[in-house]
Amino acid sequence: MRRELGMFVALLLMCGALWVSNPSFVEQANRFYTSRQIAMLTIYAVGIAFVIITGGIDLSVGSVIGLTGVIVAKLSAPPPGMRLPLVLGIGVALGVALLVGLIQGLLITRLDLQPFIVTLGFMLLLRGVSQTIALGGNITITDQQVVTLSGGGTQTTHFPALTHYMDLVKGGLFYVHGTPLLSWPVLICLVVIGIGGYILHYTVFGRYVYAIGGNRDAAEYSGIPVKRVETLTYVISAGMAGLAGILYAAFIKNMDAQHGQSYELIAIAAAVLGGCSLRGGEGTVIGVLIGCMIMQIIDNGFNYFRIGNWVPNENWKAIVNGAVILVAVILDRTVHIVQSKRRTRRAGLAAASPQPTVEVVSPGAA
Amino acid sequence: MNTVPLLEMRGITKRFPGVLALQDVSLHLQSGEVLALMGENGAGKSTLMKILGGAYLPDGGEIRIDGSVVSLNGIREAKRLGIALIHQELMLAPNLDIAGNIFLGNEPRRFGLVTPLSRTRMNAAAAALLRRVGLGLPPTTPVSTLTAGQMQMVEIAKALALNARIIIMDEPTSSLTAGESQQLFSIIHQLKQDGIGVIYISHRMEEVLMLADRITVLRDGKYVGDLDRAGASQDKIVNMMVGRELSGHYFPDRPAPPPIGHPVLVVNGIIVPGAPAPVNMIALRGEILGFAGLVGSGRTELMQTIFGVTRPLGGVMTLDGAPYRPRNTRDAIARGVYLAPEDRKRHGLVLPMTIAQNTSLPDIRNYAPLGFLHRRKERQVAEAGVARLRTRTPSVYQKTVNLSGGNQQKVVLAKWLAMNPKVLILDEPTRGIDVGAKAEIYRHMAALAAEGITILMVSSEMEEVVKMSDRVVVMRERRIQGILPREGLSQERIAQLMTAKVARETAA
Ligand SMILES: Nc1ncnc2c1ncn2[C@@H]1O[C@H](COP(=O)(O)OP(=O)(O)OP(=O)(O)O)[C@@H](O)[C@H]1O
Ligand SMILES: [Mg+2]
Repeated sequence: MRRELGMFVALLLMCGALWVSNPSFVEQANRFYTSRQIAMLTIYAVGIAFVIITGGIDLSVGSVIGLTGVIVAKLSAPPPGMRLPLVLGIGVALGVALLVGLIQGLLITRLDLQPFIVTLGFMLLLRGVSQTIALGGNITITDQQVVTLSGGGTQTTHFPALTHYMDLVKGGLFYVHGTPLLSWPVLICLVVIGIGGYILHYTVFGRYVYAIGGNRDAAEYSGIPVKRVETLTYVISAGMAGLAGILYAAFIKNMDAQHGQSYELIAIAAAVLGGCSLRGGEGTVIGVLIGCMIMQIIDNGFNYFRIGNWVPNENWKAIVNGAVILVAVILDRTVHIVQSKRRTRRAGLAAASPQPTVEVVSPGAA
Repeated sequence: MNTVPLLEMRGITKRFPGVLALQDVSLHLQSGEVLALMGENGAGKSTLMKILGGAYLPDGGEIRIDGSVVSLNGIREAKRLGIALIHQELMLAPNLDIAGNIFLGNEPRRFGLVTPLSRTRMNAAAAALLRRVGLGLPPTTPVSTLTAGQMQMVEIAKALALNARIIIMDEPTSSLTAGESQQLFSIIHQLKQDGIGVIYISHRMEEVLMLADRITVLRDGKYVGDLDRAGASQDKIVNMMVGRELSGHYFPDRPAPPPIGHPVLVVNGIIVPGAPAPVNMIALRGEILGFAGLVGSGRTELMQTIFGVTRPLGGVMTLDGAPYRPRNTRDAIARGVYLAPEDRKRHGLVLPMTIAQNTSLPDIRNYAPLGFLHRRKERQVAEAGVARLRTRTPSVYQKTVNLSGGNQQKVVLAKWLAMNPKVLILDEPTRGIDVGAKAEIYRHMAALAAEGITILMVSSEMEEVVKMSDRVVVMRERRIQGILPREGLSQERIAQLMTAKVARETAA
């Protein structure tokens, strides 16, 4: 929990600095936009956290996000889409995502393959599948189709289901200045956090996830169904990616094979910032949420940050993003070392009877 | 002798978060002397030695070598000063060969490179060192193929390669066979002749009394006193370690087993993968069935088969008369067969989890009737376990990675004792455990057996096998050599069977 707290403070500092430098950072329009981005990231980052806590890694989530979007577009959008019912499009997309997770999980646990290589393979493979489905081009999700009639006029067909679908990322509850305070993605994200956090921290399944990440052999000897639990974490990760993918598709609309690229790296970075260890066995859902907030606010805040009239060069963005992540981790480590030193000293004072220390020579200082 | 001691540690203090591990501890060592360091689990022995080996920095105190103050700032520095620490858990790289391990971090170089030529020199030097420790293996043997005893020899050769003047051995014999231990003792005598100072940590009293020139005792992180070889006795040492008279017998009195027992576990023609012959045996209700044999005699493999870790290639087992065919550990646990493994770090504990979480792990469904974890129950059970075996820890929420070796072992045992077994398999239950807790574990085993629980106890400590078992299964080269009844049981009788060349079938 310590790491989470530290990162939360870092987050507040970042927000404060951005607010001071540019008050429009906290305006409703940006609040709406940023919270929605955070929500979509958090949804699949929570999924990937399950995998990371068992000591695995899932590199395929970006491709799953891309693939679900392309599937929805292909099945349910107007041509070049197939104009099938939206429920079918979403259902198939989610089903494919879960299936991908299951196959990855089974390959990793039953054949004892390394998660890194299996999910890397799927990352590349699914990219290719998206490419094939989109026929190398793109499919746009829109709620109207305009057909040029032979007589020269045009006829417009509306698809109300698609209108609702696209509203999913625009609408929400409690409107202020025409945008919702709580958008639907944020609400979905809160549900995911609630359920994910409950499972991870309060159920037997969650305890299993931590135990496997902490020591797989000891978990095995304790009678834990290690393979089944591990497989399930990949299903959860891919399922969450599918859910996020459906939201992203409604938001981005224009689906091509590149959609979702390198999203997995952002989620992994967010999870680690929030206290997950890539060695496994550590991490909390709240931490993942904080990590996601930091990642998105770095990204979004760059556009807002200024000192007086000075605006940072757009080309520095990647450098700044990387640097902020590194600084956050370095600071966290430093605070940790200082704290544990202090705690150590206190333990000593509490336990030691008052006794003069005879010529203390600290070899560390020499 | 009135010379300047080779080593002097004075007023050493070391704190960990929430724990004062060492408080004003002093110790000295002459060259050519064997000093035994003794104390209960968590007394601070390993911590003190890690400070000497440069792995930890002390928070206070000073260290002198040959009378001058040194700062042991890191392991490299300690090595440079001629201090070699052989850890409680051996630290060799299994993927390298013997020579590579001996010179790890200390490779002979040419122009800063490890060239094929220096490799030849390295092998030659390694061969010489191996001769010194009496290990007749080529230096190119991969370390992963060695037995625990051979690895120990490699560790010592590694220390000699550094021209070490002080060699520290932290529980070196805990995973050695009797023969290997004997060999280690003769090497220690050799080291003494060469003027090397040896610090020796062990929970085995006989070894200490035989080897040590002097004994330094720690209790709760404090220095208690020194005993000379002449003035030392088991009782004196124990009193100093525990700080009170350890009353009564060490081993509990056990009632004679009923003449006709009720069979609980029947193993009929089970073929353990890699074993030369099928295994037949019967374990009775309420009996402690000891398993004696050399390290590698197939006892642990047999237990793992009974526990469902490995599947037998043939044969049948029954449990309480019903067929018993565990496909995995879960099946075994569901039928009430539990195993406390010998390798606690690998199989026994999830180190980054707390004592409470580790204790509840195998039985977690019982802590979560509706899938929701009952944390208070978890804490209570863990606290009972900690109190019962006197585990030294600030609380049950301490991560097990921070416990001393023996205290980790206590957590592993407590976690299985907390459940309600039908058959309890204990693989080396008292390895690395101090005398007081050992007596506690024996009492507990006797109580469980009296309740009708069947205990299979694998042990390499002869005294334990003889004193605790109702019957003893003796194994050698993965076969059962014989099953001995309690009557007429003796260490000699067991040892004879353990090493006998001809298999003698003895009816149970
Ligand atoms: N890294 C650590 N963090 C917190 N506490 C620690 C750490 N290392 C050791 N301790 C504590 O310091 C005390 C001394 O531990 P140490 O390992 O020196 O005991 P020991 O005498 O070697 O015991 P054993 O016979 O069980 O090996 C123990 O209470 C242990 O829990
Ligand atoms: Mg120790």
